[in-house]
Amino acid sequence: MRDVWIAAAAMTRFGRRSEKLEDLMADAALDALREADCQPDSLVVTAMGPEEFVGEGNFASHIATYLGLSQIPAVRVETASSSGAAALYAGFAQIASGLRNYVLVVGGEKMTHVSTPRVSEIISRVIDPHERSYGATMPALAGIVARAALAKGLITETDMARVAVKNHSNGARNPYAHFQRPVTLEGVMSSRMIADPLRLQHCCPISDGAAAVLLTSHPTGLKLAGMGQGSDYLAVRYRASLTGSRATQDAAKAAYKMAGFGPERVQVAEIHDAFAPFEILALEDTGLFPPGKAAKAVQNGELTLEGRLPVNPSGGLKARGHALAATGLAQVVELVWQLTGHALGRQVNARVGLAHSIGGMATNNWVTLVEQVA
Amino acid sequence: MIENIAASRCPDCAWVVAPPARICPRHPVEMTPTEVSGYGSVLSYTTLTVAPAGFKPPLHIAVVELPSGARIFCHGKETRALKIGRRVAIEQVDGIFYFANLGIADRVSLFWKRRGAAPERTREAIKSAVKRFFSTYKNGGNAQSAENGAALNGEEKDPRPGAKR
Repeated sequence: MRDVWIAAAAMTRFGRRSEKLEDLMADAALDALREADCQPDSLVVTAMGPEEFVGEGNFASHIATYLGLSQIPAVRVETASSSGAAALYAGFAQIASGLRNYVLVVGGEKMTHVSTPRVSEIISRVIDPHERSYGATMPALAGIVARAALAKGLITETDMARVAVKNHSNGARNPYAHFQRPVTLEGVMSSRMIADPLRLQHCCPISDGAAAVLLTSHPTGLKLAGMGQGSDYLAVRYRASLTGSRATQDAAKAAYKMAGFGPERVQVAEIHDAFAPFEILALEDTGLFPPGKAAKAVQNGELTLEGRLPVNPSGGLKARGHALAATGLAQVVELVWQLTGHALGRQVNARVGLAHSIGGMATNNWVTLVEQVA
Repeated sequence: MIENIAASRCPDCAWVVAPPARICPRHPVEMTPTEVSGYGSVLSYTTLTVAPAGFKPPLHIAVVELPSGARIFCHGKETRALKIGRRVAIEQVDGIFYFANLGIADRVSLFWKRRGAAPERTREAIKSAVKRFFSTYKNGGNAQSAENGAALNGEEKDPRPGAKR
């Protein structure tokens, strides 16, 4: 297997965007191509629901043509909300196998022009049909997970709020973030109840945006050191544990094995905090903290930009925003900026970064390790 | 009165899932139909204050583990006094599972929370109410004694299979 390197990474600002999805994706893709000054020989496209959200099909060819890249192979990859990470893996596999030398991976989503109930309904289709028939939405399932985690003493309601406060504080320093303003502990804990015990300020927003990563077989100093995938049952009720994610645990193990190092070398992490308690649970499932210790780390401020392990310096899904298929790639873009000293205003000192992406209600998860080698 | 719930069992690993699945979620083997007793303990729950289309908030959803190990999603009247681990009865109205032991009035009011094909659903609700009335009458009114699911005396019929997750 060949080593895989990152030649360039770019993204648009996340948030309410008036541009077309094609233009958001083009902005990210062209920025990445300009930065690397090269032509890709393969294109991997991802969007979770362009058929529903923007009414476009045959999406790989559509984007390839829009980008002026219709002469190279293009495929679309989709694994619900982790689609960006899955697309990166498809590009990774093409380089590692020797099939291609420059793969452009671009993901985007445009949702804010659609009414919120309709967006929720489209997103809810990632849920098991029996569970969905009981009104289970993503916040509902997250509320069920959070309730179980509270009962087990893994988290407290204040811990959940602390995650949101920290991530907003980081987002306030990120010009690419959807929410560039801080929130207070009291503000989070008194925000509107959505899915008990989850309140509005525990939940990520609906965002538009795009991100692109250019992968290559030629050493650039920035290595895609390991990528792992983990699966779980679509149905939450089939799972051995409501609070621990087998998909994240397996993805992390596979990524560390490929990279040849463990969680102890990770110095910055982008975690899929679609709902605030997920950040705490994922920090344990990825092995970054021992079981039962992540909540304490939140309390002690260990996850802030100045802390021992900065988590979600971008603001995470909570503040940077969650543009579905763009998110997994945007996490890697943030890691690239952090490892190369380009994260102005929120720079941390790190050589190894971890990105964690959840697909659906943790049915198709990914862990990616990026290492600054040179 | 404890109802039976349709489920399926894997001939290889004995895992039971509800509602029935054609193929065992653990491996590609066709499952065989079975039934499980409609009571169990609450694994977790939530209340939605923003409900999806077709539901009226507040919407109470619980995950309940049945004696066979199968878990189902169900609705309920409220989650205020609900605790993880609490034993509840599962009742079916119009093919929908509800937790706790509900009186006729509760069943009818819960039924109307789910909008849909009214005439057919009304028939089902009346059938369900009549069934409840006669079972109450036959048992000399004792059916209501299990009003809070915790009072269910179900431990002795807990045929847990060896194979568990």
